[in-house]
Amino acid sequence: MTRIFQFRYLILAPAIFFILLIGLYPFLKLLITSFQNITMFADDYGFAGFVHYARLMDDGRFWASVLRTVVFTAIALPIELGLGLAMAYLFLERVPLKQVFVALILLPTVISPIVAGSTWRLMFDNRFGPINQIIGWFAGHEVKLLWTVDTSLAWPAILIADVWQWTPFMFLFLLTALSAVDQEQIEAASLDGASRWRTFRYIVLPAITPVMAIAMLIRGLDLFRIFDIVWTMTQGGPGTLTETISVYAYQMAFREFDVSYSAAFALAIIVVLTGVVLSFLRMVEVER
Amino acid sequence: MSVVGRKNRTGLRFALALACTLLFLFPIYWIAAISVKTPEEIFAYPLVWLPGSFNFNNYLVLFRDGDAWSVFHSLVTAGTSTVIAMVLGTFAAYSLARYKTGGNHLSLWIISQRMVPQISIAFPVFLLFVSLKLIDTYAGLIILYTAFNLPYVIWMMRGYIQDVPIELEQSAMIDGLSPFQVILKVVFPMVRAGLFATAVFTFIFAWNDFLFALILTRSEVVTYPVQVTGYFGSQSTFWGKIGAMSMLGMLPMFFVVATMQKYIVRGMSMGAVKG
Amino acid sequence: MSDLVLKNVHKHYGQFHAVKGIDLTVKAGDFAVLVGPSGCGKSTLLRSIAGLEEISDGDILLGDKSLKDLPPRDRNLAMVFQSYALYPYLTVFENIAFGLRARKVPNAEVEAKVRDAAELLGLTEYLDRKPRALSGGQRQRVAIGRAIVRDAELFLFDEPLSNLDAKLRDEMREELKKLHQRLGKTFIYVTHDQIEAMTLADQIVLLKDGSIEQQGAPLDLFERPNNLFVAGFLGSPSMNLIEVSPLGRDNLVQLADGQTLVVDPAIHARLVETKDPILWGVRPEHFAHVENATNAVMVQIGVLQPTGSRSYASFRIADTHVVAELPAHTVSKEGQQIALSPNMEKTHFFNAGTGERIG
Repeated sequence: MTRIFQFRYLILAPAIFFILLIGLYPFLKLLITSFQNITMFADDYGFAGFVHYARLMDDGRFWASVLRTVVFTAIALPIELGLGLAMAYLFLERVPLKQVFVALILLPTVISPIVAGSTWRLMFDNRFGPINQIIGWFAGHEVKLLWTVDTSLAWPAILIADVWQWTPFMFLFLLTALSAVDQEQIEAASLDGASRWRTFRYIVLPAITPVMAIAMLIRGLDLFRIFDIVWTMTQGGPGTLTETISVYAYQMAFREFDVSYSAAFALAIIVVLTGVVLSFLRMVEVER
Repeated sequence: MSVVGRKNRTGLRFALALACTLLFLFPIYWIAAISVKTPEEIFAYPLVWLPGSFNFNNYLVLFRDGDAWSVFHSLVTAGTSTVIAMVLGTFAAYSLARYKTGGNHLSLWIISQRMVPQISIAFPVFLLFVSLKLIDTYAGLIILYTAFNLPYVIWMMRGYIQDVPIELEQSAMIDGLSPFQVILKVVFPMVRAGLFATAVFTFIFAWNDFLFALILTRSEVVTYPVQVTGYFGSQSTFWGKIGAMSMLGMLPMFFVVATMQKYIVRGMSMGAVKG
Repeated sequence: MSDLVLKNVHKHYGQFHAVKGIDLTVKAGDFAVLVGPSGCGKSTLLRSIAGLEEISDGDILLGDKSLKDLPPRDRNLAMVFQSYALYPYLTVFENIAFGLRARKVPNAEVEAKVRDAAELLGLTEYLDRKPRALSGGQRQRVAIGRAIVRDAELFLFDEPLSNLDAKLRDEMREELKKLHQRLGKTFIYVTHDQIEAMTLADQIVLLKDGSIEQQGAPLDLFERPNNLFVAGFLGSPSMNLIEVSPLGRDNLVQLADGQTLVVDPAIHARLVETKDPILWGVRPEHFAHVENATNAVMVQIGVLQPTGSRSYASFRIADTHVVAELPAHTVSKEGQQIALSPNMEKTHFFNAGTGERIG
């Protein structure tokens, strides 16, 4: 028996060691640091109480970034979901060369968000980007929109880039889910005279909800933590207009070296994220 | 519906699918075009939609200046960390799947590690790696990517291992294999498909990472995403280099999608089922 | 080769006591069958012998060597699983060779042994195929092949025929019996099918709820069941159980409908002493229609099911449904009244309360 005892821990240990490196140490360090007082100038390791957390509560810039991130997530997620669903329906039935198309459509998702952001930044270029050119054709005259600089265009630009990159992800998930829906139920429904909408609402939707929930959870979390695309396209600008939580956190830690404050910040993000995930999971459980 | 009607619908679907695909591919085409355009073509107005010729100068510049090394760095770090994560992760997954080590608590904790926001642990990791002298080294990035991907690998492989009929392992044990051999000679072959699917995603994640690469590298092992952002300056933006570097970074992904498409699709949908 | 001895073997799964103090000896070279209804612990016991389960208490001895603490691969046994457990990614040859390769047997020897086993089982032309290209029966044989190449001392079978259709099962039963004769090794076989148990076993071990109800040669259990459970389990159709009460005189017992039968005086004495209700067990084949028989019951036939040379005739004695197996044409039609005499020497009496056999 002792042999088994050793074996199963033996094969688990190396993996756990690595995970602890990223999972335990940083967490502890954040916890400790957030109660100290380390900034770019001073290295005060004494206990500073909850001062940083208090500051966090009062930090307008922090809350603004939270608001922006939440709003962006709330807008992008349904769009990606809706478009993904529409595309999934399109590819559900017989399409020649389906495999080829699906493989190509997946490309945006497998490239780096940096490359995606860079590409779109160039596409949105006010003089040499194709987007303005195309808009110009429709408008009938030259268009020189400053997508990544104009305050009313920066977010739409980021939105477009993100939707472009991640809709294929939703598409694939939903295609799989739709393919798994029991055909017999749908046929029975059509014989019963149900409209397309009815069939969707009462048969298809419940069947794909678990997969949709997972996809939304994954995508929602990623949107919440969005960094790469924003960083390449606007770097949080103009000003702090597109500064998401992650961008602000990055600034705090790596530009201003406000170490203790950013530790409190980082912990706050983890807590908020965990809360979001838990409440989402609870919501899903209630649905069942 | 008449046969003609059905054909029309398929034709319509095909047209829509084609339009969809082209729409999604357009930006990729655009950046590819930029990478082979001459500076005149890039900065031409009105826009040059089709490059006049395949001008590989941008690529040559990258190789000449040594920037192309970043692709190599990406390859080394992503590739090595994927292999390590797959091996360690699959064995760990076996422990969880068959021995139920740590019960629900351990599994839950491991899976929750995947949810940790990168930005939160970025700075502590940075400090840790500074003190371990791992900044700007292969080892540093490899260790990081391995650690970051392990939860995902364990989560996925556990599911795949649980699908293997346990009688095969028991039969092998009776036939004389040690537990270690059983994993290697029976379990690994049986979960081959799962291994590929998971490895593909693990590799993609490490390959495309930006934040950690940004923080943990300086000049020696700069990976390609960091390299690309370097071309966006406040003064000048090196379009040609951006294009070429992006393409170099994307090419392996094209290759992966082309060869592993089956596994990618399976991997994404498995994630849904096993989530 | 040595005897297999189980000494007071217990197995607990948390609160659930799956195996309750089993004492069992299987003589070297015997074909022992562990049989019983689902949940009786037969598979658990087999897997404990294999080492796939750890026993909570007691010991398992092969000869004088204790197997209790040994991992499966050190116990020198071979096992055939219900689902065959073939490796889908290996050819039939490699499947059979698997255990040999694991023990680093040289190639030439592996070749020889695998080909021998294949020939014995009729698999020679399938050696290059993968399991998915084989039928159920063929896969079964590959699983057996994998077991017999190994020169193990003990062969374990976990319901190997359950997944085969009836005809194949009959064929395979015969082949397994021949195999046992040929190899001469100790076989321990688990099944829920009493026909397999009866036809294959040198020794039957009938289990219920983790304990041995009775063990012995098949015909022993069949002809002298210790209790109601054993009596009812073996034999198909199963034994009829009819309520009777002993009368004070003339060695008579009375059936619920008033008819009487004469029984052996010694047995009658024991019946009279019994305070609990008494059940009379008579197998369908022990009824006969004899002209002018003295010890008989008069019955009215309800349903008649001819099967060819024999017919099953069912009737009622008071509330009890009884089946008799008679030669064809004994009963001409349903509803017919007929006198049937039971072969009293072959019938048994059971204490309805304890289930034990009285006589």
